[in-house]
Amino acid sequence: MVTSDIYNKEYDVIIIGGGATGAGTARDCALRGLSVLLVERNDYSTGATGRNHGLMHSGARYAVTDSESASECISENMILRRIARHCVEETDGLFITLPEDDLQYQQTFVEACQRAGIRADVIDPAEARRIEPAVNPELIGAVRIPDASIDPFRLTVANLLDARMHGAETLNYHEVEGLIINQNRVEGVKLFNKHDGSHVEVRGRVVVNASGIWGQRIAQMAGVKISMFPARGALLIFGHRVNNMVINRCRKPANADILVPDDTVCVIGTTSDRIPIETVDDMRVTREEVDILLKEGVKIAPSLATTRIIRAYAGVRPLVASDDDPSGRSISRGIVCLDHAQRDGLEGFITITGGKMMTYRLMGEIATNAVCAKLGNTAPCVTASQPLPGSEDDAPNQSDLTKRYSFGQRAAIGRHGSLAARIEKENDIDNALVCECEGVTVGEIKYAVHQLHVHNLVNLRRRTRVGMGTCQGKLCSCRAASLMGEFNHDVKRAQEDLASFLDERWKGMRPVAWGDTLRESQLTATIYEGLCGLDMAVNLEGKEDAQ
Amino acid sequence: MRMDTVIMGGGLSGLTCGIALAKRGKRVAIVASGQSTLLFNGGSMELLGNIDGKAVNAPLEAIAALPQDHPYSKIGADRIAVLADEARQLLADAGISMEGSTARNHWRITPMGIAKPAWLTLSDHLRLDDLNNLPAKRVALMCIRGFFDEPNGMLEHGLQGLGLEVKKVEFTTDDITALRRSPSEMRASSLAKHLTSNNALKRLAEQINTLAGDADMVLLPSVLGQNDDSDVQMLQGLVSKPLRLVATLPPAVAGMRMQTLLRHYFRMLGGNYLMGDTAVSGAFDSDRLASVTTAKLGDMPLKADNFVLATGSFISRGLRADYERVYEPVLDLDVDADSDREQWTRFGVLEPQAYMRYGVATDGNLHCLKRGKPINNLHAIGSVLSGHDAIKMGDGTGVSLLTALAVAHDILA
Repeated sequence: MVTSDIYNKEYDVIIIGGGATGAGTARDCALRGLSVLLVERNDYSTGATGRNHGLMHSGARYAVTDSESASECISENMILRRIARHCVEETDGLFITLPEDDLQYQQTFVEACQRAGIRADVIDPAEARRIEPAVNPELIGAVRIPDASIDPFRLTVANLLDARMHGAETLNYHEVEGLIINQNRVEGVKLFNKHDGSHVEVRGRVVVNASGIWGQRIAQMAGVKISMFPARGALLIFGHRVNNMVINRCRKPANADILVPDDTVCVIGTTSDRIPIETVDDMRVTREEVDILLKEGVKIAPSLATTRIIRAYAGVRPLVASDDDPSGRSISRGIVCLDHAQRDGLEGFITITGGKMMTYRLMGEIATNAVCAKLGNTAPCVTASQPLPGSEDDAPNQSDLTKRYSFGQRAAIGRHGSLAARIEKENDIDNALVCECEGVTVGEIKYAVHQLHVHNLVNLRRRTRVGMGTCQGKLCSCRAASLMGEFNHDVKRAQEDLASFLDERWKGMRPVAWGDTLRESQLTATIYEGLCGLDMAVNLEGKEDAQ
Repeated sequence: MRMDTVIMGGGLSGLTCGIALAKRGKRVAIVASGQSTLLFNGGSMELLGNIDGKAVNAPLEAIAALPQDHPYSKIGADRIAVLADEARQLLADAGISMEGSTARNHWRITPMGIAKPAWLTLSDHLRLDDLNNLPAKRVALMCIRGFFDEPNGMLEHGLQGLGLEVKKVEFTTDDITALRRSPSEMRASSLAKHLTSNNALKRLAEQINTLAGDADMVLLPSVLGQNDDSDVQMLQGLVSKPLRLVATLPPAVAGMRMQTLLRHYFRMLGGNYLMGDTAVSGAFDSDRLASVTTAKLGDMPLKADNFVLATGSFISRGLRADYERVYEPVLDLDVDADSDREQWTRFGVLEPQAYMRYGVATDGNLHCLKRGKPINNLHAIGSVLSGHDAIKMGDGTGVSLLTALAVAHDILA
């Protein structure tokens, strides 16, 4: 459907926010037969969804302090293993006790896990070292729990794809500038199209605010007040995967106490700092954050001290003030769904916030229940049992791989599951490799550009992992830019896009620019500026930082 | 092993210095990792390309105005013209045929079709002496099917912007198609390795002659002539129109050719090129370096009267940084670098980055310093030197060549 047709329809529900929660809500609404539009101001999964550990919690982390979240996590954990298996790696996890920690806490922890229904097996430290050689050998206690690793980009895209397969429309780079309000009723959204600079209004019977920490701003547009407490967390990505299991510290949650293996890399995090709401768009990682993460990370896995750090990034958790506490000081850790008709006397407007990437599906279910109640829709929720596209029961097995799939499709199966079959394999060029680190082919790039809403190289990275590997896009980004320039017939834009991509990579590298990361930066400059002269062709100054 | 001079680093500066010394009968050993930044060189040398983002037209005049800590100023701006001629002769003697003038920069064409100022460019590569007087009106841009290391669209766009009519032609030959069966084989260096037999070059020429149409010049990605220019000359003989090569993304075949020819020439002169080895430490005897230990020779240190540090910048690991400091890893020499990590870099990726100017500290004769004192038999040359930003100034290859020659003269004096 062309964009102007999307603008002219009236929808049952308009969802604001293209993170995991918005995507999960869009999918649920579409599966229940509602007509759906999802709008996102940047690219999908640019907020907290794409800025966390990629950890599929077992819930153990919350067992002692927040039993409700713990129960939600373990329940969703088991659901995601079924419905999103192409996004999940079943690594299992350890909660380790170090000499500086109190071993007595382990007992409290295990009992709390059992109460929440989380399997928690105390194992011998020697056994822990055997099953996870990267762990600090000085550990004095270990508990094995069902943590796992999950790719939030892939998960979000799978939800969006399924929503679209069931009739939903989705628009990225469309920012909400205001709400259409008529006599205590929200009737739609006012949008700014960042691609062409136009302003449009789209009507919907219910509007769902699923915009994470930016939800406070959206609520303000509706004239209602939500008090958010932005909690910023910084993380570091290491250049290779030193651990095969998730490793947590067995103590009260603190800074940098989780190390998660993600694909070919691993991630340590997070710090935790309350920040003013005005600063939630400043994602620059500070020197102090880097130093804390390194100091603590090395305690979990000593080899991190000599492992290259490829990137630092930060995200903001959308914590919300409890409505039942008039002082506004008490924070709700769980999922918060506000029907503003009941709360504020404003019809047609629902806010879904709080929660975790991990519980996005449940949040979608809760929000959709609220939408359906308003619209009189009685269809049941099926998102807990129906697999996401890519994880269907007929997803390819090993023997299928060699028989039916081309090289490019095989390389992409880890990223797209059974959807890899849609990747073109018509000719020899489709199978040619663009990104050697991550095995991305020309066919996969075509698929992403044509079917996954890819407008630039950063979008492409999120959909395919181009440039996410150890070389951080040294040559593949130019190859990909050049191909996209040809698909879109706009070479100048391709060069600007390439420079923006390198700049975006640099923002993550700069806080950790020493050792091999500094070396890689000089190499990138030697290729793109020295050899190619890209700096003479484009000017990044004044470019909006909205990838 | 006892040598007259031991050079640490076998890239452009190390080889140039080694050749200049070996030519005068000195016993020289070069300790070379086997990789160098020539891998990123599209076939040109530059003396000085840019000042404050503006292209330099007359490099000698601009060099005279450089600040005191620039390596050219340390050599002496008045010696640049003579050393540049000497460098050009040395390259020619090694079989590297280049064109250009010290009086006036010409333009090299990058893989993205951008014109950058240059001093010398390989004779078989595209070079524009005057943007108002182009060497052709209509060019055929030969695009190899399935080869993504030439961004053809950007190149076409850039050449059009310079005023050329561009006809983009996709083609392949049986030899190239065979290579493409392996998805990772389509790199410039793999193509150059396979496009070397007479028959392969004939098939290539046939395609070009059939498809070039009414163009008056043929442009081909630089995927030929990894060892010397004979394959290119043969192809030029077989193609009915003038043919020039255009730089690709790395590995750059042109730079590999220069590296190979310099290495052969050095060995021909009796030089000892210790390939695949690196210097790891040194032993000092008061204000002199007595010997250097390498990874492979282990407990047999290299002794010499003179030593030259040509280990390159961060890329080549001639400089290193950890989260506290920038240092020189082999001899722990003094470096010119900011001590505060926040100062090393800037927020924008294309802004000038301070770390690019970091390097070992030297006195006016390019002697290295250790704890503030010059080491009288240890010089530094090339990218390991501080005081210039090769990326923003376009002076990297010139600094490598000219500091190498200046130090060779100092050692021979």
